[in-house]
Amino acid sequence: MVTTALPEADARTDSHAKTQFKLIDADVHNYVNSIDELLPFMARRWHAYIEQSGFDGPGGNVFPRLYEYAARRDSFPPSGLLPGGDPDFARDQLLDGWGIEAAILNPLYAVSALRNLDFSNAIARAVNELTAARWLDHDPRWRGSIVVNTEDPDAAAAEIRRAGRDPRFVQLLLIVRAVEPYGRRRYRPILAAASDMGLPLGIHFGGDPGPITATGWPSYYIEDHTGMPQAFEAQVLSLVAEGVFETFPDLRVALVEGGFAWLPALMWRFDKNYKGLRDEIPWLKKLPSEYIREHFRATTQPMEEPDDPRHLLQIMDMLGRDDFLMFATDYPHWDFDAPDRAVPPIVPDDMREGIMAGNAAAFYDFDRA
Amino acid sequence: MTSTAHDVGALADFGERGARRVQVGRHAIVVVRWDDEVYALRDTCAHQGAPLSSGTLCHHVTAAAAGAPIVLDPDSRVLRCPWHGWQYDLCTGRSLHATERARVRTYPARVADGRVYVDLG
Repeated sequence: MVTTALPEADARTDSHAKTQFKLIDADVHNYVNSIDELLPFMARRWHAYIEQSGFDGPGGNVFPRLYEYAARRDSFPPSGLLPGGDPDFARDQLLDGWGIEAAILNPLYAVSALRNLDFSNAIARAVNELTAARWLDHDPRWRGSIVVNTEDPDAAAAEIRRAGRDPRFVQLLLIVRAVEPYGRRRYRPILAAASDMGLPLGIHFGGDPGPITATGWPSYYIEDHTGMPQAFEAQVLSLVAEGVFETFPDLRVALVEGGFAWLPALMWRFDKNYKGLRDEIPWLKKLPSEYIREHFRATTQPMEEPDDPRHLLQIMDMLGRDDFLMFATDYPHWDFDAPDRAVPPIVPDDMREGIMAGNAAAFYDFDRA
Repeated sequence: MTSTAHDVGALADFGERGARRVQVGRHAIVVVRWDDEVYALRDTCAHQGAPLSSGTLCHHVTAAAAGAPIVLDPDSRVLRCPWHGWQYDLCTGRSLHATERARVRTYPARVADGRVYVDLG
C-alpha cells in the first residue's frame, strides 16, 4: 500500500510562510546573441584579438540536441534574435505570459571552457555587464547570476566581489560538469568570495570539460540529458566531503536543472559510508545528509514524472524538508516546465505555494529586496 | 565486588591492549584492556551485529578545520567494528558519528587482585 502521508509541516520548515511572491522562476536563460554584444564591455585589446581570430563564442556541442539552440519552437523572437536573446520577447512570453514576479537569469556562456585565462576573464566580466545592462536594467523582475572562469579562481573571486556589489545579482552560476568538483581546495577563493558576498552557488546542468560520464563518452543527447545527475552527485559529494560548509557555514547551494529524485538515495549512501569512513574526513561535525538538508536546495525542472504521482510526493518527503524545492521553467529551452502543470495536483497547497515562490524567496532573500 | 559482578579472567590474559569476547551466562561481552584500564561493552555492533571483539582499538581522528592536519586524540579510546567500521567510545559506548542515536551498552568493569570483573547489573 502506497502512502502519501507527510510529516507535520511545522516540524520541518516554515520558510514559505511569509512572502509577497506567488510565482518565482528559478532558472531562465538569457543568451548572448553574438560576440558583438560583448565588445562594448571589453578592452580594445580584446577587440583586436577577437577580430584577428574570428572568435564567435565559446564551446560547441558534441551531441546535436534535436532542438535548435535547445529551444522551444515558439521561443524564437520575431526580432530574429536568439531564443532567450530578446529581453522584450522574453518578458512578454515568459514574465507577462505566466505572471512570473521574479526570474533568475542563468547565462550559459561557457566562459570556463576558454583556455586563455585573461581572455576568458574578460569575457566573463563582459557577460556580467551585458546581463546587467540588457536584462537587469530592462525589467526589475529579472535577477542575475554572475558567471566566472572557474579555472582562474583568484580572478573569479575578484569578479564575484565586483559584480556582486550589484544586489540584482543573486547567485554565482557554476556549471555542474567542471574540470574538477568544486569542493577541491583550489576553488576555495571562489567559494570564499561567494560566501563573503552572500551569494549562493547556483550549480547548473551542462558542461563538457571531459568525458561526460564516469565511464566515458556516450553517444546520444538523451544519455547526456538523462545522465546529468551523475555530475550533480559528484558536486554534492565534493562540497560536503571537503568540509566546505564547515569553512563557510553561511554558504548555500542551489542545484539547478539536475532533478532531485536521486538525492535521498545519495544521502542514504553518503551517511552510511560516513559512519565507517569518517576518519578520512574528520572535519565533518555531523552526518553528510545534515549538511545537504541545511545548505542545499534544488530546482524542480525538469520535473521528475513517475507514472504514479504519489511516488513523487514520497520522494519529496524523503528530501526531509518542505522548502527544498524551487520551481523553475528553464525558459526558453525545449524541456520547459509549465507553471500550471509541472507540479502535479497531488502536491498539497501549502507545499505547492512554497515550491512555486516561497522557497526561492526565502533562499534568495527576495522579500528583503 | 557486588553480587552481579562476574570474574571474567586474569588481567594478564587480556594482553596489554586488546579486545576479547567473554561469555557471562547469556551475555556476550567484549572486554577491552587498554594498558591498565578495562572496559566492557555488549559484543554486538548496533549496526549489523558484528562481534566488536574482532574489531580494532584506535584513537579518535580529528581535524581542527577542513583541510587542517588530521591528528589523533591521544586521550580518546575507541573500538572500531570489524565489519563496516562504526566506531564506539569505550567509556560511553556511543558511536562517534551519532552519539545519541547509535550506541552499544556498556558495563562497569574493574580490576581487583589481578582479576577482571564485569558488573552486568
